[in-house]
Amino acid sequence: MARLSLRGIKKRFKTTDVLHGIDLEIGDREFVVFVGPSGCGKSTLLRLIAGLDPISDGDFFLNDQRMNDVAPSRRGIAMVFQSYALYPHMDVYENMAFGARLMGLSKDEVEKRIADAARMLRLDALLKRKPRELSGGQRQRVAIGRALVRKPDVFLLDEPLSNLDAALRSDVRLEIAKLHRDIGGTMIYVTHDQVEAMTLADKIVVMNSGRIEQVGSPRELYETPANTFVATFIGSPRMTLVDVARDGDRLGVANGGSVATGALPEIKNLKLGLRPDAVKLHRGQNSEGLAATVVYTEYLGDNAYVYARLADGTLLSARTTPNDLFAPDETVTVTVEPGSAHYFSAEDGRRLTP
Amino acid sequence: MPQLRMTGRGLWITALIVPPLAFVALFIVYPIVSAFAYAFFDWQGLRRLDFVGLENFHTVLFVEPYRSWTINAFKNNVIVFFALMVLQNGLGFILAYALWRELPGARFHRIAVFLPVVLSTIIVAYLFKLFYHPLFGVVNITLKGIGLGWLAQPWLGQSGTALGSIIVAQAWHMVGFPTLVFLAGMQRIPGEILDAVRMETESEWVKITKIVWPLVAPSATIVFTLLFVGAFNWFELPYIMGGLDGSPFGSTDVLGLYFYRTAFGNVSAGQQDFGLGSALAVLIFIFIAIVAGVITTRLRAREIQL
Repeated sequence: MARLSLRGIKKRFKTTDVLHGIDLEIGDREFVVFVGPSGCGKSTLLRLIAGLDPISDGDFFLNDQRMNDVAPSRRGIAMVFQSYALYPHMDVYENMAFGARLMGLSKDEVEKRIADAARMLRLDALLKRKPRELSGGQRQRVAIGRALVRKPDVFLLDEPLSNLDAALRSDVRLEIAKLHRDIGGTMIYVTHDQVEAMTLADKIVVMNSGRIEQVGSPRELYETPANTFVATFIGSPRMTLVDVARDGDRLGVANGGSVATGALPEIKNLKLGLRPDAVKLHRGQNSEGLAATVVYTEYLGDNAYVYARLADGTLLSARTTPNDLFAPDETVTVTVEPGSAHYFSAEDGRRLTP
Repeated sequence: MPQLRMTGRGLWITALIVPPLAFVALFIVYPIVSAFAYAFFDWQGLRRLDFVGLENFHTVLFVEPYRSWTINAFKNNVIVFFALMVLQNGLGFILAYALWRELPGARFHRIAVFLPVVLSTIIVAYLFKLFYHPLFGVVNITLKGIGLGWLAQPWLGQSGTALGSIIVAQAWHMVGFPTLVFLAGMQRIPGEILDAVRMETESEWVKITKIVWPLVAPSATIVFTLLFVGAFNWFELPYIMGGLDGSPFGSTDVLGLYFYRTAFGNVSAGQQDFGLGSALAVLIFIFIAIVAGVITTRLRAREIQL
């Protein structure tokens, strides 16, 4: 059982406010991902939960117990660090046994837990190796194993894949997902990579400059982003935002034609959000859509992305079939699939519903 | 036939290497080699007499009174080494840890701890001679002032306390050096490793003994080896504070003083003997070289790559 409750958490470093009041509830066995650009405060928040840095203001409860002043080692929380932080002078077995012994477990129990973790993480053959004799992926597994043997209520993972090469990254990502299924603990995972967030999370917490922008399932964030920040952060290539003016049931771009997108919010000026799969490109110019000029085309095998510049200078990305390639400088017309566009306030970027 | 023509680059290298090499040969290699040679001859003042083989070595090691003097000086060096190991290196490690953990005032103390190291040994020696003065020394006056007058005593004037007092002066003087080396070693430990330990224990003792100490092993190797060499070459402080005879009653006599006295003589002992002195110097040199070699290889073995 592990429920975490963060209430008005603030963090100040000397005179700089890093977190401006974080409220968040995390349920038992949830896989939560903190995602955001670097410097948004996600790692800081993780360190506050771990107890490595003191909380400046607000309360942190773990299973209804206030944890603000509890030492990191007594919180029942284990952490996997970005650099793995294995003890370089101990072999793999000792690295895993160190924390378990300090918990006061019996020798047999320590041995059993290490054997279990080693089997689960395929470390059996490596137990006598020193960290410097291991590959990046193996070190990563040892770091996870070290957290595992302590049987914590909560696992914290701080950008655990960022030091691995791309091929290994997706393998380890799968393993972490499987691990969460097998052991069923609460996991909090920090990353700046929205793909990791989308693939792993039950619940994503999108952060930006010390604030939570939105909390929700990957599907909620993708389909109903709360504001332009979340809309452009989640999804790749990113959502295009176009400043448009409403004219009846059509939306017009300055000097660039207009387009019908289905039901519209009752507001004159707004931002139109278009994901690559929401738009269609037509060769040549006609009055049914927005005028654009192709900049370049990315061919990806199973599909292709075309980047085109609208009349007001906005760069728009569109997904097309690989058979439907466009040449640079080609003139195209952009239309929008009815009901697939997003609308945001032109003033504060909040989501608007039709 | 291979060409041995000097190119411009070769000339440059030769021109740069020869002067320092000549300097080292003349002022370091030659004296050591000649000391080895002197030790095998009988001497009368500066006049070299017959080749006597190992006679000089035999005399300083087995013939009285040289035998007792050698043993006494060596014993004092051993005491100095172990005392400084605790007072200088032990304290240095603790100070380094406190500075590293950024305890309040760390910025000030980082400088304060290292400041005595840059003082001249002569200054430190005279300063502590004044501190230990039986009547107006700050040590005795302080003891009397806080009601511990019964502890006040002639620190440098009695054989029971003289060596210890000089050792304390030495530790005060040089404690900044091991502190600095240990601190540099600790600062190389990655922050995430310390965070990882903090996730597993809050005990400073465990952190120090199980993580920090093993990880500063390279610093320990440097500091231990240098202390060993320093302790068995110790000369300046006992010379200034205890005198050339290691007074009172040889209680502050160390191998450095004893060698100097034997080779060059002094007012009370009169006779100077290059042969015996050189034999002592050679013995000290060999002893330090062997033990320092063993210490270094032993300690190297427990160093790990961070």
